[in-house]
Amino acid sequence: MAHHRISVTVNGSVESVDVPSNMTLLTMLREKLGLTGTKNGCTAGECGACTVFLNDEPVNSCLVLAVECDGAEVRTVESLARKGKLDPVQQSVIDHNAVQCGFCTPGVLISARALLDRNPDPSEEEIRDALVGNLCRCTGYVRILDAVKDAAQVGAASETGGSR
Amino acid sequence: MREAHPGLPDFDYVRPASLEEASRFLAENPQSARPFMGGTDTFVRLRDGFWKETRYLVDVKNLDGRAEITFDPRNGLTVGAAVNMNQVVADPQVRAHYPLLAQAAHRVASYQLRTRATLIGNLCNASPAGDTLGACLLFGGILRVHGVEGFRDQPLAGFFQGPGRTALQPGDIATSIRFPLPVPGSVGHYEKLGRNVLSDLAIVGVTALGHPDSSTASGHRFHLALASVGPVPVILRDLLTQAPLTPEALDEAAGRAMEACHPIDDVRGSARYRKFMVRNLSRRALNRVWEGLQSGHCCE
Amino acid sequence: MDTVETTTPRPHQESAAPRPVGESVTRLDAHEKVTGEALFADDLQFGPNMLYARIKRSPHPHARILKIDASRALALPGVKTVVTGQSTPGFIGLYLKDRHIFCTDRARFVGDPVAGVAATTEEIAEKALDLIDVEYEVLPPVLDPEEGVRPDAELLHPELGSYEVANFIFPQPGTNIPNLFKIRKGDVDKALSEAAAVVHHSFRVPHVQHVPIEPHVAIAKVDERGRVTLWGSSQSPFAQRNLIASALGISQADLEVVAPYVGGGFGCKAGVSMEALAVAIAMQVRGRPVKLRLTREEEFYTTFVRQGLVAHFTMACDAEGNLTAMDNKFFWDGGAYAEYGVNMTRGAGYSSSGPYDVPNVRTDSYCVYTNHPVGGPMRGFGQPEMQCGLEQCINRLALEIGMDPMEFRRRNCVKEGSNLVTGMKMHATGIGECLEKAAEAIGWGHKDPPSAPHKRRGKGIAAMWKAPAMSPNAGSSAWIEMSEDGKCTLGLGGQEIGQGTFTVMAQMAAAALGIPYDWVRIASPVDTKYSPYEWQTVASRLTWSMGNAVVAATKDARRQILELVARSWEETPEDLDIVNGNVISAKSGRSSSLKGLVVYGLARPGDQGWIGGPILGRGSFMPTYVTGLDPETGQGERAVVHYTTGAQAIEIEVDLETGRVEVLRGASAFDMGKAINPDLVRVQMEGGLVQGISTALFESLQLQDGVVRNPSFVDYRIATSADAPRDMQSIIVEVPQDDGPFGARGVGEHSMVPTMPAIANAIHDALGIHPGAPPFTAEKVYLAMVDAGLVK
Repeated sequence: MAHHRISVTVNGSVESVDVPSNMTLLTMLREKLGLTGTKNGCTAGECGACTVFLNDEPVNSCLVLAVECDGAEVRTVESLARKGKLDPVQQSVIDHNAVQCGFCTPGVLISARALLDRNPDPSEEEIRDALVGNLCRCTGYVRILDAVKDAAQVGAASETGGSR
Repeated sequence: MREAHPGLPDFDYVRPASLEEASRFLAENPQSARPFMGGTDTFVRLRDGFWKETRYLVDVKNLDGRAEITFDPRNGLTVGAAVNMNQVVADPQVRAHYPLLAQAAHRVASYQLRTRATLIGNLCNASPAGDTLGACLLFGGILRVHGVEGFRDQPLAGFFQGPGRTALQPGDIATSIRFPLPVPGSVGHYEKLGRNVLSDLAIVGVTALGHPDSSTASGHRFHLALASVGPVPVILRDLLTQAPLTPEALDEAAGRAMEACHPIDDVRGSARYRKFMVRNLSRRALNRVWEGLQSGHCCE
Repeated sequence: MDTVETTTPRPHQESAAPRPVGESVTRLDAHEKVTGEALFADDLQFGPNMLYARIKRSPHPHARILKIDASRALALPGVKTVVTGQSTPGFIGLYLKDRHIFCTDRARFVGDPVAGVAATTEEIAEKALDLIDVEYEVLPPVLDPEEGVRPDAELLHPELGSYEVANFIFPQPGTNIPNLFKIRKGDVDKALSEAAAVVHHSFRVPHVQHVPIEPHVAIAKVDERGRVTLWGSSQSPFAQRNLIASALGISQADLEVVAPYVGGGFGCKAGVSMEALAVAIAMQVRGRPVKLRLTREEEFYTTFVRQGLVAHFTMACDAEGNLTAMDNKFFWDGGAYAEYGVNMTRGAGYSSSGPYDVPNVRTDSYCVYTNHPVGGPMRGFGQPEMQCGLEQCINRLALEIGMDPMEFRRRNCVKEGSNLVTGMKMHATGIGECLEKAAEAIGWGHKDPPSAPHKRRGKGIAAMWKAPAMSPNAGSSAWIEMSEDGKCTLGLGGQEIGQGTFTVMAQMAAAALGIPYDWVRIASPVDTKYSPYEWQTVASRLTWSMGNAVVAATKDARRQILELVARSWEETPEDLDIVNGNVISAKSGRSSSLKGLVVYGLARPGDQGWIGGPILGRGSFMPTYVTGLDPETGQGERAVVHYTTGAQAIEIEVDLETGRVEVLRGASAFDMGKAINPDLVRVQMEGGLVQGISTALFESLQLQDGVVRNPSFVDYRIATSADAPRDMQSIIVEVPQDDGPFGARGVGEHSMVPTMPAIANAIHDALGIHPGAPPFTAEKVYLAMVDAGLVK
C-alpha cells in the first residue's frame, strides 16, 4: 500500500506526516500526532465524537483520509482554549453541567463552535440541528443546548465572535 | 453478521492530475478502482467489507472548477461535483430558485457529514433512501459526465438502475449537474419520515413539486418522487391536472402514490407501514405545495 | 479502622448538612473534559512495542467447535500469537461461573469469542482472522426464553449443575434455567377469586444495548513472572482483578487494573466482558502490551446487552382500589451466559410487587439460557423491563375500577413499615410525595388541546422502586492523605463514569473534614494497586456505600488531627473543630491552620521533640445486615439494603398521520435521601429520562435467528439532540436514609426505570390504545391505530 508524505497544519503548527493511503484523519491525529482529545466512537460518521475543523468546517475525522488533508488546516478540541482561557462554549458547558462522561464533549464543542462561528445567534432549533450528529448518551442534551445558547450570548456580549 | 472492520482495508489513494487521466485510470481498472468525492458513503462501505476487490480509491473532487454553484437566468443552475451539501443548503441562488433542493439537502444526515457529502455523490451512490434524488429528478437534472470518450450529458431520467447501480460506466466521472429553470411559479416540498426527528435515513421520503399550467383543467401540474419504497425512486408525473383541485382530489393523488409503490420489509420499516406513509406523507406534501401555490410563495 | 455509624445526622453535624454538602459545586472533572486533556483508556500511550488484538467470533448461534486450525494465521507476517480456549480452560463469571474466556468446545451465540490474534498492527490482526479455519458442527439454537424452559429444549449448558455459584442464586441443573427466584407471600388464588377487578397482560420487552459513546477497550501486559497489568474502560477494576485472576489461577495481588475515565458505562463495563480476552492473549506474548478495542458493531452484540424479557402479569384489587394480589411470571432471556444476568432475575423477583403494598404475591422469575447475546447489567438492572409491564397493568387496573391512575398509585404505594414482598419492612420513603409532585408538574388531570388537528395529546404516570442489586456484602473503602498545605488527596476505588462521583466524594470529604471543597483532589486514575477496594461502580451504590467509606476515612483523619492539636494545646478533642481548613477551639478560642501540622506534626514546647506525624485517614463500609431469602418462598428478614423510590409523569403528543410519539414534557421526582450535589442529581434525572425515552421510542436489538440485524448507529437509533424534550423538570425529594452518608441513597439508575410505562400510559391516554411492549415506534403506534380503526 502506498504511503504519502503530507504537510498539514494542525492547531496552528505545520506537521509533516507519513501516512498510508487508508489512514483516516482521526487515526493520524490520535496515533501519529498524539492528539487524543478527538475520540473514536463509531468509525462510521454517525456519532460525531471525532468531529474536528477541516479548513474551518466541522467534519467527522473518521470519514476523511489523512492523505486528503495535504495542505489543509485542521483544528481539534485542544485548540479551543487560548493561553489558558477557555472558549466561551467550553466555559458554558462547564457552567451548565453539560458534561458527564466527557467522551462526546470534544466533538460537541467543535460542532457548537462551528455553529456559533457561522451563526452567532442561533435559535434552539438551529442548535439542535447543528448538534444532531453528536450523540450523547449521558446528558439528555438539554444542558448542552442551553450551554450553546448561553455561549452565544456571552460571545455577543463580548463581541469576540468566536475563535477565528 | 456484519463484518465491519476496525479500519479501512488496504488501497492506494490515487489523485489524478486531470479528468482525462482519472477516466483512463478508472476505465483501465474497472473492478479495482473506484472514484470518490466526499467519501462519506465510500469509506463506510469499504469498512463494512463491501467492494472487497477495491485496490485504488481515485479522488476526483479536486479537479479544476468543480466546487462551484453557478446560476444563469437562461440555463438554470449548475452544481459542481465537489460542492458539498451544506453549500447547497446555504447557497442564495439555490434558495431563491430551487428551494426544494436546499430543503432536501438539509435533510441529509448531520451538519458535519454534510460538510463532506456532495450532491453528485448522493446521486451516484444511488441509495433508494437518498434524500436529494427526488428533487434532482423532479427538477430534470442533467449530469455532466466525463468518460473515456470525453464529456457527455446524462439526464437523471433513466440514470438510476437499482440500489447502488447507475448508468455510469467504468471511467465515468460525474463532474456537475445542471438543472433547467423551473417552470415559473413552481413550489416544492420534501417530506421525510425517519425514526428520529432528524438525521436518520428515510423510512419514506416524499418529494412533491407543483406549478401552474394553463394547459390543464386544474390550471396546475404536480409531480411526486418517492424514496425508500423501491429499488429506485418512484416517480409519479402529471398529477392533479383535472379540475377542481379539492382536498378529495389531493387525497386521491396521494392514494395513487400508495398504489404505485412496492416497498419491502427491512430493519427500518415494514412494507405495510411504508405504503400507509407514502399515502399520508404524499398528502401532506401535496397539500403543502398546494398551499404554496395558492399563496404565491415558494415554500420549504 | 473507623466505621460509620448508621444514624444521621452525623455527630459533628448541626441540623443542616455541613458545606459543601447540598451545594451544586462545579464538577471536579469538567475542566479537563472540555479541553480534551481527560484521558480515556484508548488515549493511553504504550509505544511501538504494543500489539493489537482482534477476535475471531462464532458466526453461529449454537455450534460445537470441532477443530481450529490457526497455522495459516500464524504464518502471516506480523502475527505474534493466536490464542484459543485451550489456553484458558478456567471458568469465569460474577455470580455464576458459566463461561470460559474463549470458547472451548461450544459456541453459544453469534459473536462468541473462538480465537484471538495479536499482531503488530490492528489491520494485520484483522486479516489474520480470515486465516483461522474453524470447523463447526451446527447445533439447534434456543431463541426464546419460553422455549428454553420446556423440558424437551436443547440443553445449552449440560454442566450447569457443576458450575460454581453464589449462595443466593438457584440454578436448576438439567435445564436451561441458571436461576429461578420465587416469591410466595399470602394466598394469591384466594385473593384473585375475591377481587373486584383483575387484569392479566403479557409483554415482550426487547433486548437493547447500553450504547456508551466510548466503545470497550482494554490493554493488557503480562510480565515474565506472569504478573498482569490491565488498563481498560472499566466500571469494575476490582471485580475484574478478582474474576480474571481466579479464572487464570493467579493471585489477585498479581493482577493490577488501571482504570482511567470511562466514556459512558450504563452497566456494560461492569463485571468482565471483553477484558479477559486481552489478558489471555497477552499471556502468550509476555512483556508486550496488547490492545483490544471493539468496533461499534461488536459493541452491539458481543458485550453485555440488556436482556429481553417475556413477562406475564395478573393483578387484582378490591372495590375500594386496594391492591390485593399479584401473580407474576418472568422469563428473562439471559443469553448464552448468565454469569451476571442471574442476579437480575433475583432483583426483579424481590421487587416484583413494584413499589406497592400487596398482601398476596406469587412470582416465578426464570433466568433462561438462550443463544442470544449475553444479558448483563444495564442501568436499572431489570427494573425498567419488569416495571414496563407492571406499571401498565397498574394503570389498567386503576382504569378498570374507575380510579385515577395517580390516585390509585398513591393509595397503594409502599410506606414506612409496609410488609414488602420478601417480608422485609419498608424504611421511610417519599414515594407518595414523588407521585404528587411529578403529577402536579405536568398539570395532571388537565388536558390541553393538541397543537394541530392531526395530533392527540395524552398524559401518563408511572412510579418505581429499585434497590441496589449486588452481593449482600459488597464493600467500599477509602483513604485520605494530607499534603503539606492542608489540601488533601482522596483515594477511592469507585469509578467516575460521568455520574459525578469524584465530585460528590470530594464534597463529602470536605464537609466531613471541615475544609473547602477545592482543597480536595481525587487519586485518579483508579488503580487496584494503589486505590482502596471498591466492589463495583454499579447499582447506584457509590454515593451511599463509597460515601460511607469516604466519610469514615475523613473522620479518621479528622480524629487524628484533633487529637494531635488537643495534645499540643492541652485541650480535649471534643472542644475542637475544623472549620474552613482551620482547627479552632470553642473553649480557648485558639485557632491554627492545618498547614504543616498534618504532615510534620507539632513541636513540643521548649524544643523537646515532636508529636504527631503524617495524617492518613482510612475507612471502610460494608452492609452487614442483608440476609438470605428462602429459595421456595423468597421470604427473609432483609432482602436488600434499601429502596430508592420515585415517579415520572410525561405528556406526549401522537401524530395521527405517522404514528410518531413526541414527548412534550417529562417530570421526574425521586427520593435520594439527600442530594449531596443537587444539580448533579438533576442532570442524572434528565439524562436518565432521555435514555428512557430513547428506549421507549426507538431502541431494540433486532434479533433474527440469533443474529443482530442492526448492529450500528445507522439502524440502531438512539435519541439525538432533536429528540430530547425541552421541558424536563427534575424534582428532589429528601427522606433521609438511615445508613447513608448525610442521609443519602443512590439515584443514578432510577430515572430511566419508569419512563417506558409512563409513555405507554400516556399513549393510552391519548389514543385509548394500549401499546404494550416497547419500543413504541411510529410504525408500531400507527399500525396499532389502523388495527383499532382509529385511522384508515
